[in-house]
Amino acid sequence: MTAVKDNSRLPLMPVIWTLAAFLIAAGPHLMAMPGLLIAIIFTLAIWRIAAAHFEWRPVPGWLRILITMVLLIAVVFAYGGMWGRRFATGLLCVMLAAKTMEMHGPRDLRMVASVCFFLIATQFLFDESLPYLAYLAAGCWVATVALIQIQHIPAMSRERQEEHGLEQRGMLIQGAALLGLALPVALALFVLFPRLAQPLWGLPDEMMDGRTGLSESMSPGTISELFLDDSPAFRAEFDDQPPPPQQRYWRGPVLWRFDGSTWRTVQFSRSASRQSVPITESSLRYRMQLEPHERRWLLGLDYPASSNMPDSSITSDHQLISRHPITTLSQYEVISTPDFVPDEPLTSTERMLASYLPPDSNPRTRAWAEELRAQYPDDRELIDAVLQVFNEEFSYSLSTAPLGRHGADEFLFDLKDGYCEYYASAFAVLMRAAGIPTRIVTGYHGGFWSQAGGYLLVRQSDAHAWNEVWLEDSGWVRVDPTAAVSPLRITEGSRSVVDRGRSLFELDWIYQMRNQYDRIQHLWNQWVLGFDAERQRWMLSQLGLPQLGPLGISLLMLFVVAMVAIPLAIWLLRNHHRRPADEAERAWRRLLRHLRRNRLNKQPSETPLEFAERIETQLGTRGTEFLELSRLYNRVHYGPLDQQLTSDFITRARSWRTG
Amino acid sequence: MSELLSRDWQDDPSIAALARARAAVNEVILDKPEVVDLAFSALLAGGHILIEDLPGVGKTTLANALSLAIGGQLQRIQFTNDMLPADIVGISVFQRDNEDFEFRPGPIFANVVLADEINRATPRTQSALLEAMAEGQITVDGQTHMLPRPFFVIATQNPLDLVGTYPLPDSQLDRFLLRTQIGYPSEQEERRLLIEPDRRDLLSDMRPELDPEQVQTLVMAAAELHVAEPVLDYIQSLIKATRMHAGLRAGLSPRAGLALIQTARAYAFINGQSFCSPDSVKAVFPSLATHRLQPVPESGLAGEEVVAEILDTTTVP
Repeated sequence: MTAVKDNSRLPLMPVIWTLAAFLIAAGPHLMAMPGLLIAIIFTLAIWRIAAAHFEWRPVPGWLRILITMVLLIAVVFAYGGMWGRRFATGLLCVMLAAKTMEMHGPRDLRMVASVCFFLIATQFLFDESLPYLAYLAAGCWVATVALIQIQHIPAMSRERQEEHGLEQRGMLIQGAALLGLALPVALALFVLFPRLAQPLWGLPDEMMDGRTGLSESMSPGTISELFLDDSPAFRAEFDDQPPPPQQRYWRGPVLWRFDGSTWRTVQFSRSASRQSVPITESSLRYRMQLEPHERRWLLGLDYPASSNMPDSSITSDHQLISRHPITTLSQYEVISTPDFVPDEPLTSTERMLASYLPPDSNPRTRAWAEELRAQYPDDRELIDAVLQVFNEEFSYSLSTAPLGRHGADEFLFDLKDGYCEYYASAFAVLMRAAGIPTRIVTGYHGGFWSQAGGYLLVRQSDAHAWNEVWLEDSGWVRVDPTAAVSPLRITEGSRSVVDRGRSLFELDWIYQMRNQYDRIQHLWNQWVLGFDAERQRWMLSQLGLPQLGPLGISLLMLFVVAMVAIPLAIWLLRNHHRRPADEAERAWRRLLRHLRRNRLNKQPSETPLEFAERIETQLGTRGTEFLELSRLYNRVHYGPLDQQLTSDFITRARSWRTG
Repeated sequence: MSELLSRDWQDDPSIAALARARAAVNEVILDKPEVVDLAFSALLAGGHILIEDLPGVGKTTLANALSLAIGGQLQRIQFTNDMLPADIVGISVFQRDNEDFEFRPGPIFANVVLADEINRATPRTQSALLEAMAEGQITVDGQTHMLPRPFFVIATQNPLDLVGTYPLPDSQLDRFLLRTQIGYPSEQEERRLLIEPDRRDLLSDMRPELDPEQVQTLVMAAAELHVAEPVLDYIQSLIKATRMHAGLRAGLSPRAGLALIQTARAYAFINGQSFCSPDSVKAVFPSLATHRLQPVPESGLAGEEVVAEILDTTTVP
């Protein structure tokens, strides 16, 4: 009876390793998973460990089918549908967790461990950053060790537990070695796998999970989370110096429509788009590296004149827009003309939109606007006066306060404290009340200049909102009311004003290190994530292999992979039955290598003693010594274990030379 | 004997006795120490040896010297073609006194049996001997009789003398642990043979150096010799090579593998080693393997050549 039980039961270690591989592979997915599914997955994992430990009977087949159906329904329910990447990966996680229920033999374990590799790779659909690569490598390692453990199951049932314990370290090393061997093949595949200029299929347009960013609407008090988000929004590479801080306005969505609380963008009809930005001597050319944000706008310095991003266009309000949502890291070049002022006469629609205020709102603001109008008939003087008031009476902080129906009134007369959104919004209301057409531009301002990297890093915390007012004699003029309140915000960047609201650990050197780290991330983006058809062609042409089509590249890839894999395979097969060389054996092999350099070759079929006797006379005076040495090796290698003799041999072998 | 032997056996008198026996046989059989070592290996591995060579090279002398040196009860059976099984195993004789059959043991009831010219007997007689060798017991008239311990058979046969002989079938050859040749002596030793008195006269002066109990002790000691992992690897790759070789009808059996490891142990033991090295495996492998392997006729190779080739191509780990 006991024998049957032993055979049917899996050893604990491979089960634990396989489950560990699964949990590590599923880990990043779990972060974004509905709580119900997380609970299901952990319940199944804990059940499996308990089953292995207490030797529970396997779950019957009909129950497994029932559980699978229930789980499928739960996943559909949790995601509210059967579409999207999140649903697919969630389903994979849950079903793999369910599969652990029927891990009865090495074959099942092997299957789970193998699928873990795939599960690890699926996380790249959501996150391509450098830290995740390290995590992924660790996950692959654990899965590989699990596979090795599974391979040793037949041996484990035979061996005693303590001998088995000794092997664990060897398996860890072996797992790392196997991954190391796979590295050249992976590298060859990465560099040479044919790339398409356009993806074959588009990813569904989904919200980025837990990632903030600009949106198509703005209501004061919503983007404050952005200020605490230090993740990069984009990087811009300049050939020489970056523009001065005053010019670093990165244009995003332009907001026209106001309903009393929320500002929104407007889609102008195509025919409305006309005035193109001229390219002048002061124009700047730079390369953008935009992090995916799942929206359609591409950011550019005011005012973008042209871009080489495929399927992109520039709207009449000078937004750079892509036809598809940005789901992967995008690299493109932009030319911007900073000193350009759009001055084409407004259309009636534009004038209407830029002047509209909801009726019966913000009475105090309207009253103040009329007062100002009476005092300053000239638009510029009026604006200056308002900015003067802002500068003297208002303050900048990140504190948020919900605003009611008369938001501008509350802000301008009661609150007098806030950040860019509040100012831009209140300023726009005030200007419109005074009869000056005004729009709000959202985007980013500033950026950290990395001298070594030659690029400007703009983080999410650099998000900003400002205004553009229409002056009849000049056109759309940029007015940044926040700058009037807190000039530091504009010259030093958001960090200088935000610092107080942050943790004490935000020390300068940490900030420096983060910027250093960003340089590495930048290179990673540029050479790994951004390694597209273009760069591949460039790299091949550097190697003297120009003009290869996808077929040519495929063949080259197969060839290179074969060149890497075949010698590895031969070497591995040859070493398959060999025991790992112990230290004495390595010392002996060093001796043999030394003798080989002196043209004394040991035949594989010769025993150490036969070899020593054969070459004794050829070695001359050292011959007898070598004979003694090989007698010692004969004793150490083939005799019972003797530490003293072994170390004795190793010392003597190291010092022995043909002389 | 050797400083390498493990402490337990170093001072045992049987070790010294073994050395003396070996020296005594080498004194009679000039210049053939490797054959003598093989014979003692077969003894200590609990097997039997077949010496196969031309007449006059000293087969019988060697067998005589061995049996005399080992001591214990000795029997010599000269095989002829009119021999019956009963001539070997013994016969039940009717006793008039107590009106019952009584078993009279044949010459096989001895510690050392010298079976001379074994191929002269009929297959029926041969198999009586071979069965006794294999099982260590005989059955006559439904009664089983145990043979004494140790039981060691030294057989000789002349491979070229075909008239009136019954060569042992291949399938029965592996009852012998080892099969060996003697070969011609070297020039110097030949000269000594010519000028010195007849070697057979030396036999009459030989005294047994070992007794059955000592042999049993030595057999047990040899079986305990350490065999390291690399040597096991080597033995396995040799066996695997015989199975993979295209010139052979079949490879060595697992039983042959066990025999190989025991014989290599015994060989290392009589050479004073406390462990079994690949050199010992190499030394016994041809004598152990050749008579168990049958080359396919198309290969045109003799068994000896195939075995030599396997030894030359198998890596010593």
